[in-house]
Amino acid sequence: MADALVSPAVAGVAAAVSVTLLAVSAHKVKSSATENLVPLMGVMGAFVFAAQMINFTIPGTGSSGHIVGGILLGALLGPWAAFLTLASVLVVQCLIFADGGLMALGCNLLNMGVCSTLIAYPFIYRPIAGGGEKTWRVIVAAIVASVVGLELGALLVTAETELSGVTALPTREFLGLMTSIHFFIGIGEGIATAAVLYFVKLYQPSLLAGYRNMTGTHAGGYKRAAWIFLGIALVLGVAFTWIASAYPDGLEWSISKITGSADLPGAGAAVASTIASVQKSTSFLPDYESTWSGIIGCGVVVALVWVVCALLTKKKHPANG
Amino acid sequence: MTALEKALSEFNEVEHASRGGSLLHRLDARGKTIVTLIYIIAVLSVSLDAFQGIVIFWIFPIIACAMGGISYGEVFRKSLYTLPFIAFIGIFNPVFQREPMLVAGGVTISKGWVEFVSILLRGLLSVQIVLVLIMSTGFYRVCRGLSRMGVPSVFTTQLLLVYRYIYVLVEEAIDMDRARKSRSYGRKGYGFGMWGTFVGQLLIRTVARAQRIHLAMLSRGFTGELHSLVKSRWRMRDTVFVAVSAMLFAACRLIDMSVIF
Repeated sequence: MADALVSPAVAGVAAAVSVTLLAVSAHKVKSSATENLVPLMGVMGAFVFAAQMINFTIPGTGSSGHIVGGILLGALLGPWAAFLTLASVLVVQCLIFADGGLMALGCNLLNMGVCSTLIAYPFIYRPIAGGGEKTWRVIVAAIVASVVGLELGALLVTAETELSGVTALPTREFLGLMTSIHFFIGIGEGIATAAVLYFVKLYQPSLLAGYRNMTGTHAGGYKRAAWIFLGIALVLGVAFTWIASAYPDGLEWSISKITGSADLPGAGAAVASTIASVQKSTSFLPDYESTWSGIIGCGVVVALVWVVCALLTKKKHPANG
Repeated sequence: MTALEKALSEFNEVEHASRGGSLLHRLDARGKTIVTLIYIIAVLSVSLDAFQGIVIFWIFPIIACAMGGISYGEVFRKSLYTLPFIAFIGIFNPVFQREPMLVAGGVTISKGWVEFVSILLRGLLSVQIVLVLIMSTGFYRVCRGLSRMGVPSVFTTQLLLVYRYIYVLVEEAIDMDRARKSRSYGRKGYGFGMWGTFVGQLLIRTVARAQRIHLAMLSRGFTGELHSLVKSRWRMRDTVFVAVSAMLFAACRLIDMSVIF
């Protein structure tokens, strides 16, 4: 993102958001830091800066690329410290190399910093990579998280530019252009990140944040909760269609209550009639009296939830104890 | 590696330029940062088709360079690096906006082309003013200024540490790259595997070095904040500088240049 492409209003909002996040990160790092995290962050920032200068060749194309380093920093420092570190690299680049520009700095912190370190790392990388014991999980996590982080960044760049009203490029074309370019950039970034993480895991795994933060979260407990959640979701999903089909007119009724008329104009009516036909084809208890079907349905749901919970917890208990 | 060596020389140039003793150099970092921000906001708020409204702002980086004894040619050259990305986005304006706007010597120029040139100019000017700020102030003093303007010290310390370590690390990377080149018999480039090993190796060396430096800093009484011997006080001349600059920018922004010329 560059100064030339943003309006002061958009830049101001982006700056406000990123400054707030910086303050939060600074607070988090200060309050939770292990003693040598700040000097380590300093050196990691310089490291990412140097690594960005070392290009890798992209096979088969003859061209080369470099990393941004958000996921790499996340995996080494954890999300908050990684955001602060990446932010400092972006500030240095903005000031010394005039990369981007001062006004667009807030936008760039969001596009390149927040998307990768505060969104893609904690919500994509960490769940996939887990504790980092399995190499293939680390590699998959690095690639998926890099693609997601860069795509989010591309989305934000598009939004910022379009909201600024500088470009005449229509939103859809712009978005298509940005997301398709960044998909490939993301894969390159992901493979490169995975290559470094693989090396570090092989020779000095203690550097990875996942190893440092192993505070004994119970994997079994997590898995059991996930199974319960999935089971309940399934039961409720089935039950909901069942109960809903027992009241074929329920949807229309609630809509007429909201809009004050039973007739829905245009597309809305089409959707409603489709839903109604689906309901009819899936209904199990069409001929029962509505009160009875409601009571039976609810009772079945409660019973099913109870059975699922009991089964899943019972299964795991002997293993834990 | 040319990119690494080039980066190092850019750092040295900025560092060298920031050691001058001109009036611009002696002004307080906070005042200069504020003026820079006002300038950028003024430039960016000019509407795209008001071409002459943006051109007039070109005088300020030139004046500032003259005040600070900085070569404007150098600043201009550095600001060109940002052009490709801006041009890539801006080039769509002539494609989509074809209504005629100016006639120059029998050639009709469309609105899109005027906007395209405006976008390029916005990019160049907003970058040039930041380069003037950093070349007349230096990275250290800008960071100190930021910290005195309320930016959390964790972040400014981080910025200063990154800045210091960059010299160390880039040199280390240059050494490693030279060693690798001298053993690779003319093979160029890094595949992903090679790149991962190279950068991973750099990382592990870096961390080992950082731990040594950190211990050395602790044994000399480091408590998490870097202190400076340079004391900067806000003087009357800083107030005058900010006030006069702001008024000039406002005048350039509000007066319709097409009336004058």
